[in-house]
Amino acid sequence: MSRKFQSAIAASVLSLVASVGAADAATTVKFWHSFNKTNGAAIDKIIANFEAANPDIDIEAEFIGNYNDIIAKLQAAIPARRAPDAVILEVTRYGLFANNGILTDLTPYFDADPLKDDLYDYAKEVGVIDGKNYIVPFNSSTPVLYFNKDIFTRAGLSEDTPLVTFDEILSAAKTINGKLGAEGISGIAAPGQFARWGLVMANDSELVDPMSGEILLDKPNTIEAYQWMASLVHAEKVASPDGVTDEDAGRDAFLAGKVGIQMNSTGGYGSTKKALGDNLAVRPMPCNKACSVPIGGAGIGIMASSPKDVQDAAYKFVSYASSPEANAIWFAATGYLPINKKSADLPVAKEALATKPGIDVAIESLPNAHGRARTTVVTWMRTTEYKMWQAMALGQRDAAETLKDFAEQTRSEETRLSN
Amino acid sequence: MKRDNPFLVGLAAIAGLLFLSPVLYSIWISFQTADAYYTGGTAFTLDNYGRAIGQYDFARYLLNSLFVSGMVTLLGISFATMAAYAFARFSFRGGNLLFGATIATLMIPSHISLIPNYLSLAKVGLLDTYAGLILPAISNGFAAFFLRQYIRGIPKSLDEAAYMDGARPLTVLWRIIVPLSRPAIASMALYIFMTEWNSYIWPLVAVGDKDLYTLQVGLARLYRINPGEGLVDWPLVMAASTITILPVLLGFLLVERHLVRGITMGAVK
Amino acid sequence: MLRKLTPYFFVAPLMISIAVFTYIPILSSLNLSVREWNFLSPDMPFVGLRNYEQLLASHDFWNSLWVTTVFAVLSVPLRLGLALVIASYLTRETLHSRLLRGALFLPSVTSAVSIAVVFSWIFSTDYGMVNALFAAVGIGKVHWLQDPFLALWVLIFVNTWKQLGYDIVIYIAGLQAIPGELYDAASVDGGRRLHVFRRVTLPLVMPTTYFLLVISVIEAFQVFTIVNVMTRGGPAGATDMLVNQLYEIGFVLFDIGRGSALAVILFVLLVALAILKSRIIGRKVHYEA
Repeated sequence: MSRKFQSAIAASVLSLVASVGAADAATTVKFWHSFNKTNGAAIDKIIANFEAANPDIDIEAEFIGNYNDIIAKLQAAIPARRAPDAVILEVTRYGLFANNGILTDLTPYFDADPLKDDLYDYAKEVGVIDGKNYIVPFNSSTPVLYFNKDIFTRAGLSEDTPLVTFDEILSAAKTINGKLGAEGISGIAAPGQFARWGLVMANDSELVDPMSGEILLDKPNTIEAYQWMASLVHAEKVASPDGVTDEDAGRDAFLAGKVGIQMNSTGGYGSTKKALGDNLAVRPMPCNKACSVPIGGAGIGIMASSPKDVQDAAYKFVSYASSPEANAIWFAATGYLPINKKSADLPVAKEALATKPGIDVAIESLPNAHGRARTTVVTWMRTTEYKMWQAMALGQRDAAETLKDFAEQTRSEETRLSN
Repeated sequence: MKRDNPFLVGLAAIAGLLFLSPVLYSIWISFQTADAYYTGGTAFTLDNYGRAIGQYDFARYLLNSLFVSGMVTLLGISFATMAAYAFARFSFRGGNLLFGATIATLMIPSHISLIPNYLSLAKVGLLDTYAGLILPAISNGFAAFFLRQYIRGIPKSLDEAAYMDGARPLTVLWRIIVPLSRPAIASMALYIFMTEWNSYIWPLVAVGDKDLYTLQVGLARLYRINPGEGLVDWPLVMAASTITILPVLLGFLLVERHLVRGITMGAVK
Repeated sequence: MLRKLTPYFFVAPLMISIAVFTYIPILSSLNLSVREWNFLSPDMPFVGLRNYEQLLASHDFWNSLWVTTVFAVLSVPLRLGLALVIASYLTRETLHSRLLRGALFLPSVTSAVSIAVVFSWIFSTDYGMVNALFAAVGIGKVHWLQDPFLALWVLIFVNTWKQLGYDIVIYIAGLQAIPGELYDAASVDGGRRLHVFRRVTLPLVMPTTYFLLVISVIEAFQVFTIVNVMTRGGPAGATDMLVNQLYEIGFVLFDIGRGSALAVILFVLLVALAILKSRIIGRKVHYEA
């Protein structure tokens, strides 16, 4: 073998060793999230920017599915020890993990982080259980009311049609259905779970008391709100049952211009705007008996089981994801609320506010926004609520009876969980 | 085959196509652009397959399915043949009990082992590995039972002649029993392969890592996350579905006779 | 000595895998079913029969038992009836009958997930083939998978479509075993086609019918894939069959104790059915002898 060839081999082996060594030196953070399509592109950009600024940290991000899918996959991953290091957790459903010692307490990190002073209080609040910080907010939202201007016009409704009370919304939906039903257009999308919670709050009630944790599913105002929502589908027939069995179907139909009104998270603004363009109009959620909207969205938690250096690296990313520059990109692309006081001043955010009408509706409704309960039982309650809602919306069961039954089940589940 | 009335043949072909029309139509749609599909036009494209294979990783899922089903078949048929041979040719202490335990598995619904298998494989770190997909599927009591019946039908004198020549049991199995039971082994191997190829609930719970998805899990997920903003991208989903169906479809056309024979023999057990 | 061990060597791989993945899990399920666990807590306290009590007191359990029973009671006779009628036309080994048999048999070896996805599309409200055909004859949109009554029928239809070919193939084997002279005798007696079918075919394929009856009932009690893909047990629990319920409790709600209790109940139910089956097969052997 020639000398030259030998040295070439030696050199390539060396470089191989070096590259393996380099890979070892970088810390890899496995990160599960719930964003795809428009929002997925935005988070990919934030991750790329972070990695460019922190070459020693590698964020291995994976889109898992919606919030429910993440919760289920995370819970399944615990006995298998295949949980990620960082994970997006919806603001009402991480209690289950926090209270079982799965999430690491981020209070020491957060207290030492200047970010703490920059975040709005409403956003900070969602991450706290019993004084301890388990998730740092990333994407905060409230539901808003979207409508399709083109459909309104064709149905003979003005763009200023009042949409504040339940009756007003129903009457607009009926008009649309009456005029355009034959073209396959329906008045309103069956509300998804986040919007349902919002509508209960707009009727001056709650599902679970955020202070005491008391279950309020069978309160008269809760029942009344559900009765109204269910009637949209089975009595008034202004909402398609397709959106009841699969709430994404309701959103998709709205994006496709087949539905007049849709109530959903402001975090869907980006993709909705992309789909509907100038036909999109945004209003605040209705105020039927009260003006109150839930704060939704998610924060990032870090697993207690991850090694310390990985946790440190993960926190660096968590902190960056809420920084003004990352938050401004996120806000502008998706429509999620600015959570950092400094983001709104950045050019990218200013441009979004100037050019994307309606993106600020959620911001305007912040004074009425409230954090929700995050007790352990909420995860179970939200998983089970889908079936209850289907029964009511499809006219299988009476709303009052269903919710009384549901409240009872939730209470007994809570007892079981606390034992 | 006997000569047949061409009119009846035509009628049968039409009836068959009509029966299969949902799947055939889905294959047709998989070659259409999404725009054409939603506007009711026709525009031929291979792009759906390109995206299914590239962007949505169906090439990888296809390889995973082939590997997992192949390994399950190989191991499953080997274990079953060996055991069948022992049950058919040897009388040994506990043999009847073990044979009984093998047959009894035919009655046991696989779902009872779902949670325990998940936990035991989690404990030894085999979830999210090929082994975790393969191992729980390799014991096939039915194949063992079926092959035992078949092997019992092979004249014992053939074994004895081989033993006279100084052969060992393993040689007898390999040189005499296996070649003579080839049709039965082929039928059972096919049966195991098809079952594993189409299996869903175990890969669904056992695999979280996308790189290990089988076609079934990958397809169910693709359908559920609704690719495309707004309306479901049906042409893409149908391309993925066609990729999932096609290998078995082609295999079926090649070996239909064996398969039907295996299934019929199984039924008259 | 070595000679004596030979058979054990041959059965060992199969026996070990059966023990590890079939028998031991039955015991683990029994153990888990009397415990409280959600995968997260470090320990799993013993709770006695509480999981069984809660299960038997829950609306969901009885609903899924009911739905599964309805599914079985409606789909099995439908499958078998159709299969027997079709099979009796396809017993001869001619090209046309083999062609049609092949087409009918194909779905039974095709992926259930693919079939479920294809039929989700066929029955979808806005761009589905069925509603398109309905529109062509002036019938309005039907919400097939959103209507609790229709959704179960759609699943029955899809399951029948998928399994029919298998039943037909088995019936053909059974029919071909009937000696031709019996038909000749019946025809000589002046029997008409329907008469021959009732007097000769039906009683003589009874063993096959018994066999198919029992295995399809067992199968119906284990339907999962099409439910999971097409309806997830909805709308409002209308298609929430037992195995789907097991999956939901175990891998969505992570109530491992209650999920295991349901698995044990399902096990007992199916073993009872299987024992019934072996009785019937025994009877069949007797009948043929």
